[in-house]
Amino acid sequence: MKNKHVAIVTLLSILLLSLLTGLAIAQADSGNTNAGDVTYIIADPTGDWGYPTPHGHYPRGPGYVRMSLIFDTLVWKDNQSFVPALATDWEYLEDENAYLFHLRKGVTWHDGEKFTADDVAFTYNYVKEHPSWWVDLKSLKQAEVLDEYTVKIYLNERYAPFLNNDAGSLAILPKHIWQDVVDPTEFREQESLIGTGPFKLVDYSKTHGTYLYEVNKDYYRGKPDIDSLKFVKISEEMSATALMRNEVPATAILPETVAEVGAAGFVIINQSGNWNAKLMINHNKAPMSSKEFRHALAYAINRTELVEIAQRGHAIQGSPGLLSPTTPYYNPNIPYYEYDPERAKDILEGQGYQLKEDGYYWKDGEVLELELITASRFGFERVAEIIARQLEDIGIKVNLRSLEWKTLDSRVITRQFDLAVSGHGGIGGDPAILNKVILGKFGYSANYTKNDTLNQLLEAQLHEMDEEKRKEMVREIQKVYAEELPALTLYYPTWYWGHDGSVDIYYTMGGIASGIPIPLNKLAFMEYKGQVEAPAPAATEAPVPGFELLISILALTAVAYLTIRRSKD
Amino acid sequence: MRKIPEIGTYVIAFLIILVLIFLLPRMMPGDPLTAICGEEVLVEMTPELRTELLHRFALDEPLWRQFFVYLTGIMHGNFGYSYYYNAPVLDIILEALPWTLLLVGTSLLLSTVLSIILGIESGWRRGKISDKSLLTTTMILNGFPNFFIGIILLLFFAVYLGCLPLQGAKTPYSGLAGIDSMLDIARHLVLPLIALTLAQIPGSYLLMRNTMLTTLKEPFVRTAKAKGLSKVAVRYKHAGRNAMLPIVTTTGVRVGIIFTGALFIEIIFSYPGVGLLTYNALFMRDYPILQGVFFIVAVFVILANFVVDLLYRKIDPRIGDANTEYAH
Repeated sequence: MKNKHVAIVTLLSILLLSLLTGLAIAQADSGNTNAGDVTYIIADPTGDWGYPTPHGHYPRGPGYVRMSLIFDTLVWKDNQSFVPALATDWEYLEDENAYLFHLRKGVTWHDGEKFTADDVAFTYNYVKEHPSWWVDLKSLKQAEVLDEYTVKIYLNERYAPFLNNDAGSLAILPKHIWQDVVDPTEFREQESLIGTGPFKLVDYSKTHGTYLYEVNKDYYRGKPDIDSLKFVKISEEMSATALMRNEVPATAILPETVAEVGAAGFVIINQSGNWNAKLMINHNKAPMSSKEFRHALAYAINRTELVEIAQRGHAIQGSPGLLSPTTPYYNPNIPYYEYDPERAKDILEGQGYQLKEDGYYWKDGEVLELELITASRFGFERVAEIIARQLEDIGIKVNLRSLEWKTLDSRVITRQFDLAVSGHGGIGGDPAILNKVILGKFGYSANYTKNDTLNQLLEAQLHEMDEEKRKEMVREIQKVYAEELPALTLYYPTWYWGHDGSVDIYYTMGGIASGIPIPLNKLAFMEYKGQVEAPAPAATEAPVPGFELLISILALTAVAYLTIRRSKD
Repeated sequence: MRKIPEIGTYVIAFLIILVLIFLLPRMMPGDPLTAICGEEVLVEMTPELRTELLHRFALDEPLWRQFFVYLTGIMHGNFGYSYYYNAPVLDIILEALPWTLLLVGTSLLLSTVLSIILGIESGWRRGKISDKSLLTTTMILNGFPNFFIGIILLLFFAVYLGCLPLQGAKTPYSGLAGIDSMLDIARHLVLPLIALTLAQIPGSYLLMRNTMLTTLKEPFVRTAKAKGLSKVAVRYKHAGRNAMLPIVTTTGVRVGIIFTGALFIEIIFSYPGVGLLTYNALFMRDYPILQGVFFIVAVFVILANFVVDLLYRKIDPRIGDANTEYAH
């Protein structure tokens, strides 16, 4: 008898424990929206992007976007150009190498305090001292208050990206709250969420990856039409289903689902040219250290096939100059390396390689063999397989290896590779990014400093305050880069969002702030076009009613059965 | 009493685990700082910020010092500070743990009870249609990994029929309270629970069925039958109870297996438990989170084994008696 009791007690205690956990978590639900309010829901596959303060969010674009709903910058961008935000107008003072900002009057913080030039100067100096992931204030000398609504920001060098990467990205903090905060990343009091933005945070759940915002009725552009904004977690694979079932009005969708979602009457928007897949070439190592050899590789790779087969057409073919045709800085007059396997072979033969009967090129008694590494992410494995076949076709033996993403990164940084398929974003914004992805020592960077002309051009464009002259320089950079070819941009994938049309979400010019390619610009939420008639019937059947009832009955029956059996003993 | 050497075994196992969970994440290629800013080109990792972070995370210290800090931290219940989440590890894990406990606990319970009942019935009806079909079904089930079962369930019930939620652990900001909120959580639990449980059943069921078959041949079963006891009584009270021993023994091991299984299930259903947390931490090389999760899971598994050891003594008096006798 005893053993039976022990077993029952154990089982019961597990049941109790599970139930108690269930009870405990059931209590934790907070935040609710009033009926009649306009609520807009956005789906996100990751969900949690951190605590939405400038120093609290995770170092990723979506984290910045969630923060940007609460906090404003001096200038902002819409889908066409820079627009005034906390500053109504601004000018660059050439002689003093400073920016003069005239601030908006009558702006209040969420707690009712007045917004003034003090807050702006404070924020610049504070963030210089407490660096954040997102804004690099290395060019800032100091910020000075001229009067209540005028701020002058002195730079210590001419810095062309200032407006986009600093003034357009740095969230202004209320001085009266942050002046005593020593560690901004750990500052999580309620008041840390006081900004001037169109929304206030009601709830953030790290565990569930959800955010709930309510409107700031005193927003200086007027009250947004949206009363509350929700971010919920829905996986990439399920997002199109959730959209078509009208569970969420806006979400990023996978390219495969675009046709179906579009046919169901939803608005599809897309963007490409911000992200590029690259063939990284180890130019420190022979034979890749020869420029001509790298050209041969480029001629041997059919980028059109990569777009058509690996990306199923959802991409733009890569430009060897790195920047995509969708950016204003794009240079079309550069070496393009159109697919030409014969030319690739000619170059190899010119380098002393001989094609043997085994189908491979040989030189000095050694077969031409390269290792191509990649990671199982973003469909890179498919891309690498196609490239391997294309190179084999002209007589280069390829060793294909798939690694874990971070391992790939560290192999590229430490230059322990021949070829690698990898990729990175950020190339849709300010061209300052070129310095990072060409000269930098990161996994995504070409890590190429051998060409002095390129080095000088890259440095010079950072400090060229004349936009036209800068564009000219950036075009030249693409030309030299394409000739040197330390890495080959393969394609720019196309990204899609689907929405129900009730809010016109759009992609920001050059990306939100320093270049985030997410169509959730806070200005879009100012206008709500009303409940658009439910776009097409949802593709799924009506839900089965009372499913939970069935489960409960089954569970009860089981419990009852067990109890009866026990009492019979 | 022979209990002390056994506790010694647990302590040694525990110490080895402590060292492993410290070393393993650090042996992966790639460092956390590169991992954090790795794929996000827009992140401004200035040399100053890098130095500050290295110092903050104590990554500039030699390995032995990091290990020492980690050990003393654990003794004080401090699991460190997450690199990516920028928050104390314990807080992060404690937020995720209840969901995993709910999932793993319920699944452990359900799979144990179901496989015992099915095993008993199946063994009793050996060779009959019901036994054969049950056996075939479980064998087929056994061939599928739990995440595959999960995907099938998800596609059928959540996507095609639409009668159960696509994912998550509850409806966000639903404004539900009390019993409604519980039901909401239960609705979200159904699919991951079934997937996890179905994958668990075959192993225990086969074990239960086999022991049942052996037990049914024992003389005491014949005696019970001869006494004219009802079939149900013979099946459950006499044969079944005795055949349960191996299941109890393997429960400790199964706790570990279910935890691992939950990792995949949580990823598929975006269930906000420890598994999903581990998955994300792996990508970010977030050593402290990995250490914390491995530590807690290891503690659970060791505890479960310990409890099973104790339970076993109670259920099977032969073990306890034998040990006590030889101890003298």
